[in-house]
Amino acid sequence: MLIQLNTKQAKLKAELQEYFEGLLTPALRTELNNPKHFEGGGPEFKKAMRTMGADGWIGLSWKKELGGKELSPIEQYIFVETVMRTGFPFPFLTTESVGPMIAEHGSDWAKEEIATKILRGELIFGIGYSEPNSGTDLASLQTKAIKEPDGYLINGQKMWTSLANFSDYIWLAARTDFEAKNHKGISMFIVPTDDPGFSMSAINTLGDVRTNATFYDNIRVPDSNLVGEINHGWSLITSQLNLERLALVNHGPVEELYRNVLKLAETTKINNDQSLADLSWVKHNFAQVYAGVEALKLICWKQTWIMESGQLNMAEASVAKVYGSEFFIEAYRLLMEIMGELSLLKNDSELSVLNAKLERMYRTASILTFGGGTNEVQRDIIAMAGLLMPRTR
Amino acid sequence: MDFSELTHQSEIRDSLDKILLEQCTPEKLKEFDVDFKHDEQLLSLLARNGYLGLGINEEYGGSGENLYDLGILFERLGYHAAPLSLVGCLVDVAQTIQKFSEEKTHLALIGAIISGEIHTSAILEPLNQDPENPLTRAEISGDNLIITGTKYLSELTSKSKSILVSVNSNEGVLLVLVDSNKVSISELATTANSPAFKVDLDSVNVDRSAIIHADGRGLEALKYLLQINMVMRSYLALGITEKMTSLVASYTSEREQFGRVIGSFQAVSHRAADCFIDLECLRLVNQQAAVNLNTNLDCENDALVSKIWAGNACHRISYSAQHLHGGTGVDKDYVLWRYCLLAKECELINGSASQNIDKLGLNITSNQ
Repeated sequence: MLIQLNTKQAKLKAELQEYFEGLLTPALRTELNNPKHFEGGGPEFKKAMRTMGADGWIGLSWKKELGGKELSPIEQYIFVETVMRTGFPFPFLTTESVGPMIAEHGSDWAKEEIATKILRGELIFGIGYSEPNSGTDLASLQTKAIKEPDGYLINGQKMWTSLANFSDYIWLAARTDFEAKNHKGISMFIVPTDDPGFSMSAINTLGDVRTNATFYDNIRVPDSNLVGEINHGWSLITSQLNLERLALVNHGPVEELYRNVLKLAETTKINNDQSLADLSWVKHNFAQVYAGVEALKLICWKQTWIMESGQLNMAEASVAKVYGSEFFIEAYRLLMEIMGELSLLKNDSELSVLNAKLERMYRTASILTFGGGTNEVQRDIIAMAGLLMPRTR
Repeated sequence: MDFSELTHQSEIRDSLDKILLEQCTPEKLKEFDVDFKHDEQLLSLLARNGYLGLGINEEYGGSGENLYDLGILFERLGYHAAPLSLVGCLVDVAQTIQKFSEEKTHLALIGAIISGEIHTSAILEPLNQDPENPLTRAEISGDNLIITGTKYLSELTSKSKSILVSVNSNEGVLLVLVDSNKVSISELATTANSPAFKVDLDSVNVDRSAIIHADGRGLEALKYLLQINMVMRSYLALGITEKMTSLVASYTSEREQFGRVIGSFQAVSHRAADCFIDLECLRLVNQQAAVNLNTNLDCENDALVSKIWAGNACHRISYSAQHLHGGTGVDKDYVLWRYCLLAKECELINGSASQNIDKLGLNITSNQ
């Protein structure tokens, strides 16, 4: 029993920390502070992605024969943790979810043209899953792909297609069988965003993160853009859900924020003898966050350790998702209380603290309780798989 | 990173469950709701089967110094609401002596404890918020200590041959073994009917050799005692809350209203799921604290985190369980009420969640 990183894992963490120190140049940091580039997409971001590709830091989860590093779940978790601590908007969904699926299940064209470029850091995908009427019940999606002699004709609308504004392709879920039961008639396609039938409108969100509604109007794609077998797309959608969910609730960012606010509170004088961190209620808030982060860290570590042995514990995966996403909301609140009104100042404002990271994380945290599998469904799973209670209606 | 239990640890859990399931029957627990709550027969059964030597070095007759093993014992005692209060004896006395004493007469107590003899501790004092700084005083004159003060919530003191007492002196904090016939004790009536005592020390005279640690290590020893006490109490809490959560799952899967089992209502199943989440968090922070304590004497923050989670989980799961059981939850013919009282005891003894949040806050902000 060892409840900490082993020597090899600790070494990987140190190596990654050093690497990202070098990668995040002042120019890149400045670019990422611009709300337009919070999620990446700027020239410095593109440069950094290509550097990472060249240095072999893309494709961590990919099998070795596909050109990847085939890191274990724990090592992948450490990677996600380290990247998230730096604030670099690494496009995990493209590189670690879509990429390996295309490399494994794509056509020859997709393997050569798309997968290789993802590995080189040259391509970004937007994810086309949700629709106006299909969110939590994703399998009810209505976007159509109709078989034609040498390809498919795609029509429909997707919602919350993040990154679409600078993506090269959309990883699109579409219905290909209209008779089959919901999840049995879905297929996955690579859809180019430079097709004239593709359009989008911006959705500006509470956290100043842009997402999009995307429209697919008579887009024709060749057969080679289908990934995996026809009507078997659902298993591609769900195959990496557990690792993805775990990445959403990684303990790195909240722990990093805790440390930074603590450092700031200890050096912020409120009078001649006292710093902010000397106030007892401030100490209490820090302690609440500390106790909560410890639990989150252990939940995540245990999950990766379970995955490492190739097992899957459904209830515990859902525990991680619910606990993590709800704890973030609470932790950001407790930390914002410490900085008080100063937490309300945006990063380009005079007197702003910590580059306004505190308020920005708070504003973006709410999407995690419903995104990535809404917490109501996760609690249903916990009650059924963890407590063997009856299915709820 | 490795969260797996060793084979012998799963075996301890299984075989303990077998014994405790047989021994802690509802009828028997009912008797101990009114009688002095100490099951002699169960204690000697555990002693005969070697369970009192968990966490004790082989050199002293135990099965190895592993606090995770000892944690399993308390977890299962909690799960079965066993009528045995053994934290003072197995944790405070045996573990602290094992770690801090080199004196043969003290170390001999460990062997006696393993075979079922009771020795206890008297650490807590009424209204003293800081147990690391005892109000009980020892005047040192030559080779003698003269101790005066009042302790409370000492377990099984009427059955104990000796009592490990924390005192302040002009040499700082000391942990001293006091012969129990030198003190006066009175039994306290506690909500969970636990065998707790008030201990009055009125100029009790003991020899210097009764100090269990080397000169100058008293505070360190007391801190260690308080930390493992917290962690083992959190293991008791884990067993208690695990049982309450499983009672919720089975009761709400059978009880029908509006023509269906109430566990199929989301409002019910989600509250049960929240119990499960608290339980998982408690299990993990306990595991971290026990494993780290095995390799490091000072794990104060890990211990505080586990006790904070224990306090919160005890409170939240207990009230969710009562609520979801409706009237059955408070009916003394059902089992839940007993766990609720035990949970409150675990929550408050040796530091409540709020008190420990305060302490943790001091630690994490002043050490930077």
